[in-house]
Amino acid sequence: MLTKIKNWLDVRIGLNTIFQTHVLDYRMPKNTNILYTLGFIAVIAYATQAFTGIILLIYYIPHPDHAFRSVQDIMTQVPYGWVFRQMHAVGSNLMIMVAMLHMVTVFLMGNYKRPRELTWVGGVLLLILTIVFGLSGYLLPWTQLSYWATTVVTSMPTAFPVIGETVSQILRGGDHVSETTLSRFFALHISILPPLYLLFMGIHLFFVNRIGISATPFGKADEEKRPLTEYKRKTYPDGYPYYPRFFQKQMYMMMAYFTVMFFIITFLPTLYFPDEANVPADPFNTPQEVRPAWYLLAPYQLLKLIPNKFFGIMLQLILVLIFILWPVLDTQQEKNVLKRPVLRGVFLSLIALWVILLWWGRS
Amino acid sequence: MTLGGMMKRRRFLKILLAFLGSITFLSFAYSFLKFLTSLPSKSADLQKLTIHKSDVPSGEAKNIIYHNTPAVIINRPDKGYFAFSRTCTHLGCLVEYSKSNLKFICPCHAGIYDLDGSVVSGPPPKPMTAIPLKIEGETIIIG
Amino acid sequence: MVGEVIMRGIMRYGILSWILLFLLPSLGTAGYKKDFEDAFLTKPWAGEQIEENVCISCHASQTMKPEFQEITEAWQASWHAQNRISCEHCHGGDPRDAALAMSPQRGFLGTPKDKDVPEFCGKCHIGILTNFLESGHGKALKAGEKAPNCVVCHGSHNIQKASIDIISEQLCTKCHSYERAKIMKVALFVIETRISQLEQRLQKLKREGIYPGADEKSLFSTQAEFRTLFHTVDANLVRSRTDEFTSKLDQIDKNIQDTYHKLRFRKNLSAFFMMAFACMGVIIFLLTKTKDE
Repeated sequence: MLTKIKNWLDVRIGLNTIFQTHVLDYRMPKNTNILYTLGFIAVIAYATQAFTGIILLIYYIPHPDHAFRSVQDIMTQVPYGWVFRQMHAVGSNLMIMVAMLHMVTVFLMGNYKRPRELTWVGGVLLLILTIVFGLSGYLLPWTQLSYWATTVVTSMPTAFPVIGETVSQILRGGDHVSETTLSRFFALHISILPPLYLLFMGIHLFFVNRIGISATPFGKADEEKRPLTEYKRKTYPDGYPYYPRFFQKQMYMMMAYFTVMFFIITFLPTLYFPDEANVPADPFNTPQEVRPAWYLLAPYQLLKLIPNKFFGIMLQLILVLIFILWPVLDTQQEKNVLKRPVLRGVFLSLIALWVILLWWGRS
Repeated sequence: MTLGGMMKRRRFLKILLAFLGSITFLSFAYSFLKFLTSLPSKSADLQKLTIHKSDVPSGEAKNIIYHNTPAVIINRPDKGYFAFSRTCTHLGCLVEYSKSNLKFICPCHAGIYDLDGSVVSGPPPKPMTAIPLKIEGETIIIG
Repeated sequence: MVGEVIMRGIMRYGILSWILLFLLPSLGTAGYKKDFEDAFLTKPWAGEQIEENVCISCHASQTMKPEFQEITEAWQASWHAQNRISCEHCHGGDPRDAALAMSPQRGFLGTPKDKDVPEFCGKCHIGILTNFLESGHGKALKAGEKAPNCVVCHGSHNIQKASIDIISEQLCTKCHSYERAKIMKVALFVIETRISQLEQRLQKLKREGIYPGADEKSLFSTQAEFRTLFHTVDANLVRSRTDEFTSKLDQIDKNIQDTYHKLRFRKNLSAFFMMAFACMGVIIFLLTKTKDE
């Protein structure tokens, strides 16, 4: 029966050929490791967010008078609403973590180098989009934490001279966070960001496939001889087949992702919900401890530390720009990070600094 | 391990995987279906309160219990019957009908509502929650 | 060489290390440094509008008598101040117009005489006023005898949330023996303790992500009614109505129990999902270790 369907499709779209080239004959380089699956996990994470988000959309009401109550209804009245809400909330944090880990491993394995610069750029843009997703979604439950964290974040652009105020006004839709802001962030979160994200993801995946998987530089002589002056898709005739080996790796990493997610939902359900996240927003009452989400803590702490606010923001923007353009700025041809102690040192200390700033921002 | 042993082991693992996978999928599917179909208001519809018109003379109000919460039904001479929840929208005290002032007054912090439930003065942030009612002949059905 | 070994170690134990990396950064939380707050929050476009209160500006200034300066400090520390009840809500007047701030035109009332204090506070606290005037204390006050008004027990500007500890030997023996006050305190004690226990449990529930809005309101209402009743200073009345209050509290208690029951079910269900995914992950991993023919 299955073969009949397959044949029917094959006559029309050449399904067999597609299957043959992209699954059966697709070969991975011999020295890929488990970290190569992180990109796939990011896609799965996004799909989970999209599904749970659409499910939540069925009951959520995006107006300040009803937002908190509708989320509470999802948590207490709607049967199993809490499952999907928790998956969405925990998943958003996990997805950002996965995206960051993917980025770190790609960097350390030098897989951003020629000819993969555009893939890297697309990836950083995806990370930024993911963080904007997190930001816009944070406001939607309309809790004290949502309201005040958003107030702080939308106030940060004011550090810019001249255009700063305008930017903040555009973000907030007014002088302070109000129902206009909520509508704005809601529209952003469900209708502007998803197609943008899918577009960039499609481009990113297209590049990955078109250029070919990059082999790790460790323990083997680099197969890609530089310089490359014409297009050549990288293939590995003596590598191992994508299916079933690598596919299985992707599958059990996906299981690991959901295991972590449900571990947090079972044993640490309040991990991402401090006290202020459980009470409705009160525009007249600033709580004692307002925390941006953890992924924004390091930039936030940096901003607090640097006495000149304009310089603080500029520094962060410049760092992000360097990050985006790194493949172009990195002129050394050596791909193996173990042979580049300076880069390794700088990168690892930047990560350490990020974690330290994050931890410092906790208090 | 012999080849036959290996194959048996693989088959067992695959069956176990299929079993677990379908249980997980079915659990999610079941949760999702219940999520979509069981709306809580359905069960609440069953409890309706019926009282007689004669219980609420013109210009008077009567305190009732509707769905375990205190409520009040008022007979306004010019506008007819209205029902509201007595829970003050400020902090939850029970408002009292004041015939002399023709208002609902909350004894805790002097929140004053008009007879249509809207806030006149005081700390309440929102008007009183209205409860729908139907009039059939001589009886009033609340809910 | 060492670097290579470490790198390989990280890759090999990738799963372990990234589970750790998963959980580590996500434990991040942040506080709120005051200078940052000053720079970004206390501007007109921030949510919290801090309006100029003319009464406070004058009465807190150095030109005022020290007693008047103390008033503003006392009020700042009060429960009224935390709920944004300021001078004009009780004393009338205009907090935005320096010239007419204390003008009768703007309804300024000045300081009430001892006998008139109940009505002064009763502008808002209506239920309590009614009960107080019917009580022994209220009747004595109106008759011109030695009797307490609101301020005697609650203070005038540094008013805190009421608690059963206001009934104290030091306070009540100013006019009569403590015996009568003790009887009252005993009558109130059980319900008051229960109410504060329920308050804590509701707070705990909020931490679990469930917002008990209706129960919170019901608890407040019960507590307010109970304390309003106290002002009749009639221990028999309080005792006779204790059952009524107890049943309301029982209802709230039951709701809390039900919610905890639901939370336990949730934990079990998500634990089941977690185990299912973990087992599937292990099985697929085992499948990679066997060869297919």
